[in-house]
Amino acid sequence: MATHRPDLGNASGGSEMRNTNKNEKSPKIANMVIVILLLTIPLSGCVGDTENDRELVIVTYDVYALTDEVIEEFENETGISVTILKLNDAGSILDYLIQHQGREDVDLAIGMDNNFLGTAIEFDLLAESDVNQVGIRNDALGPYSGPLATPFDMGYVCLNYDTEQVDGENLTVPTSLWNLTEEEWRGKVALPSPVTSSPGRAFMLATLDYFDWEDGNDEFTSWWTAMKDNDVIITSGWSEAYETHYTGGYGEWTEGYIGDAHITVSYCHSPGVESWYNENWTKSASLDLPKTSFLQVEYAAAVNGGNIETASEFINYLISPEVNSLMPTENLMYSVLEGQDLPEENGYLLNSVIPQQPSQISMNDISENIELWLEEWNSAMTSGE
Amino acid sequence: MNDLRRLASAFAVMLYSMLILIPIGLATQRLILVTGPNPYDWTKSLSENYISQNVLEFTLVQAVSSTLLTIIISLPIAWYLGRHRWPFESLIRTVLTLPFVIPSIIAAMGILTIVGPYGLDIRTNENTWWWTLIISHAWFNMALIIRFCEPLLSKLDPALEEQLRLLPHGRTRASRFKNLWVPLLLPSVVAAACMTFVFSFTSFALVRWITVRDNTLESVMAEVSSSAGIQGYMEPTSDIVMGASLIQFTILLTSLWLTSVIQRDRKAILPQARPEHVRKPNSPGWLVIVPALIFAVLPLISVVIGSFRIRDLGESGAGFRWGTDGWNQAYHGSFSFAPMSEAILNSLGYAAITILVALPLGYALASTINDLEKRSPNLARLLDVFTMLPFALSAAMVGLGVLLGIIKLDVSSAYQFWALPSLAHIMLTTPFVVRIMLPAIRSLDNSYDENARVLGMGEFSRFIKIKIPLLKGSIIISSIFVIAMSLGEFGASFIVAKNSDWTTMPLLIDAWRAKPMKDPLSAPASNAVATVLMLITMGLFMFAERFRNNRDGGMF
Repeated sequence: MATHRPDLGNASGGSEMRNTNKNEKSPKIANMVIVILLLTIPLSGCVGDTENDRELVIVTYDVYALTDEVIEEFENETGISVTILKLNDAGSILDYLIQHQGREDVDLAIGMDNNFLGTAIEFDLLAESDVNQVGIRNDALGPYSGPLATPFDMGYVCLNYDTEQVDGENLTVPTSLWNLTEEEWRGKVALPSPVTSSPGRAFMLATLDYFDWEDGNDEFTSWWTAMKDNDVIITSGWSEAYETHYTGGYGEWTEGYIGDAHITVSYCHSPGVESWYNENWTKSASLDLPKTSFLQVEYAAAVNGGNIETASEFINYLISPEVNSLMPTENLMYSVLEGQDLPEENGYLLNSVIPQQPSQISMNDISENIELWLEEWNSAMTSGE
Repeated sequence: MNDLRRLASAFAVMLYSMLILIPIGLATQRLILVTGPNPYDWTKSLSENYISQNVLEFTLVQAVSSTLLTIIISLPIAWYLGRHRWPFESLIRTVLTLPFVIPSIIAAMGILTIVGPYGLDIRTNENTWWWTLIISHAWFNMALIIRFCEPLLSKLDPALEEQLRLLPHGRTRASRFKNLWVPLLLPSVVAAACMTFVFSFTSFALVRWITVRDNTLESVMAEVSSSAGIQGYMEPTSDIVMGASLIQFTILLTSLWLTSVIQRDRKAILPQARPEHVRKPNSPGWLVIVPALIFAVLPLISVVIGSFRIRDLGESGAGFRWGTDGWNQAYHGSFSFAPMSEAILNSLGYAAITILVALPLGYALASTINDLEKRSPNLARLLDVFTMLPFALSAAMVGLGVLLGIIKLDVSSAYQFWALPSLAHIMLTTPFVVRIMLPAIRSLDNSYDENARVLGMGEFSRFIKIKIPLLKGSIIISSIFVIAMSLGEFGASFIVAKNSDWTTMPLLIDAWRAKPMKDPLSAPASNAVATVLMLITMGLFMFAERFRNNRDGGMF
């Protein structure tokens, strides 16, 4: 309890002050120390901040490939010191580069895919890097093959479903996207948002092709509105849809699990990943309907204004056989190098599907129309409100 | 007021105005370039965009519900605490008001541990999310009701109640409650309810983690902030930010104005008695106090437990084991996660800068308001509300203002300026200094100062040797609160510092928790950092409690 007896200091008279002088020295010194500490603590942010030309600042999201071991080995081999700025998702990377355009201290962007790359090029965010792209497979170079971005992994985005729930008795395996708008699927479909998530955007683009957007019909918006009316779960990112909502994956072993969706957007090889981790067992399967899957290629790209030399060194490292061959096991995506495939162990390859008829929308079409398509998606999801 | 004081007051007001208005002004200008100047379009955009649909309704309903539940839970606690004597009373009071100073991100982690699969296991049921959020807000804000009501309850002269018992309208307990306690307590309850509403309305961390698909205006602004203010790119997000900001600002400003009016009018003199005369022992009251204590500490204990409990997939399915791996992970960090020590140093650094600016600035503003109240009450009221502006702007708006505003000035140097997050912290904590210092300054006995002046002591000497010692308790409490709030600040830092290389403890907690959950160490590491932040905050708060004076009548 605070006392109300005021300490009047010198106003109380000289004699008291003379008697207390000795006792006040220690508190005064202590106060001085505290003040000095408070004044110097702000400098703690500056300690160790020395000029170093061999630095690399990478802006990325949770790309599994960028393990500590991978980064450390690169540092040891090249002497380049790596700093990682981790953002939420691929969309955040693009937002970040546009928002902070003109900075010179970000060198490399890893994780934008062929759905976001066009916009990044349009905004002149990327720089030509000195990368040897020999040995990269043709389908990885299909969406983009220029000097501004280098593919480092790829995979087909498609719907995955829980075979224990979607067994013909509880739920029927969809034969058309319109099945997902039926009553039995109410509230049981989890899709990442095309605004923020790269797999979510890839799936939205697939639905555009599925409903023949070039014909100018309104089936695309009608379907999404019907999905909204059927209580589709829209999440900000892939991991929330897959881990928190989807019942067919590893999510039930995680602490945030809810398990209210039996179909979600992931990769056509995700069941293979599940099988590989579960020692040759999975209850997840890919749904290979024509034009419902979409090839996603992820890129590493030097940032305009950054250190192109160190960025190029890292990109070359990322697509080297030693590192890139590990993509299926470290990053859970396909390698972009020719002659590489998924491992056969534990049913990884067996349970992975290559879609027979993936969607085809060019990167040029995407960058020209994506804002319009996102607006149409938004209108579809808000119609009737 | 002499010239030097006038100059100091003018400087304080000008500096505060610049700190608030320049970043917000620059950010608003940048956003309006994208959205156009029509406020109707901004607010309409909330219903026209999927991500922001129903956000306003959700924000209002959960804030009102949280406020009501907080009052229902906290009033009985304040009553028993104030009207009866308890052993370890100081400790009980500290524990019951602790939730308010605990950073909301810590509360979120603790509550997730309680409702998760190894606790009550109710997380999978969507119907529980709403109630978990409301109860979390009640937990967080119950200190406000207790702080506002308990001093009145503990010191009101019992003679008032005894006199009322003799009158026809005071013969029954219910009539005494209606005719005495309700009129006396109503201003305090309404003021506390307004502040509870403000904090629930601007909730971010708790909404982000406890609800799965819901957003408040605050959290939706934070989520879309990364793409706001860019011409030709994701322009609807700029509309969402402007619309949410405008609505939030209007509602909060109204609430804060109401709080200010009620707080000022609470200066009515009531007959008081020493607490030893007012309060009696009450054994049945333990039935209220003990559950309240458990309620207050449960999320905090669960954070500590959660830091040692690690998910373990065995042959029989998912279980858990105990270990310090999470602490180890948090301590060492990785390329993607800063080590805990770096986050602690950054947080302490920002807190130090914040207090060096916010404390003197807040004191100067409070002193100015007090001086103006004698000469120009309307101007004083205006300045009072102006100092509360960052409350109405909210943490996300402040963060966005700092981010977009400073980018507009110089995009490169802004992100080479390590202390940038401190600007947001200063904007958010200065109002708290004003709220703490103003009642203390108001209650100063001017006769000490006047006597010293008569004896020939100069203005500066009187300030250092009379005012500062008399206000020592409030200064220390202000300092502790500024430090604690800066250490625990999440909303503004989420926007300003998240995309930089400078992580703070709350951001590190959030980052670890947001890591895809294949890593069983994500949650324990997050809880480990949360435990450290919690212990620092608790230590600061308990130290400050030694200097709290109930008679000040302040919020804290």
